[in-house]
Amino acid sequence: MTSVNRSGFPAAIGVFAIAATALATGALASDNKIALIPGGPHPYFAPWEQAAADAQKDFDIAAVDFKVPAEWKLNLQTELLESLAAQGYSAFGIFPGDSVGINSTVTELQSAGLPSAALAGCAQDPTDMAFCLGTDVYNSAYIGTKELIKAMGGKGNIVHLAGLLVDPNTTLRVKAVETAVEETNGEVTLLQTVADTDAQEAADQKISALLAAQKDEIGGMIATGYIPSVVASKLLRTLGDKRIKFIGIDDDQIVLKAIEDGFVAGTMAQNPYGQGYIGAYALDLLASGDCTMKEDAPWIETPQTARFIDSGTMVINLDNIASYKDDLKAITADIQGKFKDTYMTCS
Amino acid sequence: MPFLRRLLIVEWSGLAVAIVLGSVLLAVLTPNFMTEYNIYVMLRSFCVGLLVGFAQMVTLGVGQMNISVGAIGGLVAISFGGMMEALGVPLVLAVPLAIAIGALCGLINGVLTARTGINGFIITLATASAFTGINLGITEAIPFYNMPAALVAFGDERFFAFPYLLIAPIIVTALLMLFFARTVPGRQLLAVGGNPHAADLSGISRERTIVLAHVLSGGLAAIAAVLAVAQLGSAQPSIGADWLLLSFAAPIIGGAALTGGYVSVVGTTLAVILIALIENGMVLANVDPYWVQFLLGALILAAVWLNRWRAVKTGTD
Repeated sequence: MTSVNRSGFPAAIGVFAIAATALATGALASDNKIALIPGGPHPYFAPWEQAAADAQKDFDIAAVDFKVPAEWKLNLQTELLESLAAQGYSAFGIFPGDSVGINSTVTELQSAGLPSAALAGCAQDPTDMAFCLGTDVYNSAYIGTKELIKAMGGKGNIVHLAGLLVDPNTTLRVKAVETAVEETNGEVTLLQTVADTDAQEAADQKISALLAAQKDEIGGMIATGYIPSVVASKLLRTLGDKRIKFIGIDDDQIVLKAIEDGFVAGTMAQNPYGQGYIGAYALDLLASGDCTMKEDAPWIETPQTARFIDSGTMVINLDNIASYKDDLKAITADIQGKFKDTYMTCS
Repeated sequence: MPFLRRLLIVEWSGLAVAIVLGSVLLAVLTPNFMTEYNIYVMLRSFCVGLLVGFAQMVTLGVGQMNISVGAIGGLVAISFGGMMEALGVPLVLAVPLAIAIGALCGLINGVLTARTGINGFIITLATASAFTGINLGITEAIPFYNMPAALVAFGDERFFAFPYLLIAPIIVTALLMLFFARTVPGRQLLAVGGNPHAADLSGISRERTIVLAHVLSGGLAAIAAVLAVAQLGSAQPSIGADWLLLSFAAPIIGGAALTGGYVSVVGTTLAVILIALIENGMVLANVDPYWVQFLLGALILAAVWLNRWRAVKTGTD
């Protein structure tokens, strides 16, 4: 007796859609050179390298390159941008490590006719970034907390493991978790928010201390940063504790393995590949000079920018752990397929 | 009371009093503080920090600074993880090789400092960038995940509240105390730090002593990196990135002279315990996350002031 594996179906649609778009745009070969530039070295951006290679091939762009500043410093990122502009690059997909500080360089590039877009994180308005394509951090934290509350049976005490306090997105995530908790009408209590857990050793020390102090009172934990997500997954495995439900973020191997082994209930997937792939596609159209961004597109307004596009988020759990990458590709294909008509005016 | 007087004369007694007072306060305020698991957590978090403090302490002893402590730690961590995951080097061989890489980095720092006559601060500032660059060039910021089960178990397992990870810092602490108190190179190191000219006149090779201090510093940073990999269960390129502040804070709070010539192994140990205690206490006490940094700084200042007050009162200033 054979069974039909349906998990590959969305992937097949996604791959087909990407291929179809590629064929459709293949005839319009572009001589643009596009650079995708993260704020600094970080494993989150690793899929951008493949996204750049795929976008170059699929959309027949002269070059799409992944260029990483040596460190997480604004001056290194801006020096890299200026150097690439001097080398003839025509558009830039940028993760703004400093959401305000990046704007003067973006304006300088724009005045030279070189468009930029914010990818994976937004620049603070007013900005000359054409758009911001990233995870809706509020929505992701809200959905993640809802998922956690569901895994806990709708009641109990939770803890929020947050990232850098100076990051404005952390404030949004804190609000999202608080809102989801308030909606339970007292069934769920937010015991504590542990912040500044963005370094491995600090995260290990703080989360260990938290578990030591309140292990028995905690029913669930949600991490909204990459590092605390990895560290908490590892610590719950070490403790051998499957009672505490945990929702992480991103798809680090340690988190995925912990989901498979039952120590983590789920993780909120972001779409770094899609951010790089769609970003390169849109920047190519902007750099060609044939397209501009629509003023009246269905932009999402966030505290940082009035031109936000959600790159998609989803929960990875035991049910979809084998197929989530295909699901993300389907989301990517969907956004990319509609991007030009929805957000751009082209001649 | 002669006993109390004798106790107060000891340079690190102010830190010891602060630790005892802090522990009693936390035990009263938070019932979970004295649990076996929390003591294990504190002891475990103290292991890497102590070796990081020692790595800076030995260069301070000779009147130098090592800005590259964290960069050496990061490079050793990914070399250690990489040689086991990518090259299949067995753990028993990888550990000494990792320490040798750290010592080699220290040798480069030492030779460049001693031979060029350029201040170690400048040399290690430059090599820190170079070591971090090699780290990122090799890993492209992607960690090595597949560490041997024995190493991960060593980083996690415990005997009641005693983490196995603590074995290495205990051995290193004992050896360092012996080194500075009883060995000729140890005494020479402090002599060069205290008065380089007098040391020259006594026939001590200043160059050789500076190189020795940097090699020791690199080796200690490497041991810290190996412990960090064991503790985290993966070789992360970001290991060491936030070591610099602690590396200076611990020996200086512990009584080391910034100008060289005097270090305290016990004082540095107590300073790391104090910092770990404060950080642990703030999580246990559910301190508002926006005030954690302020309180950490204020409590460390209070502990340093207590020790200073003790020194003035006992005439050991």
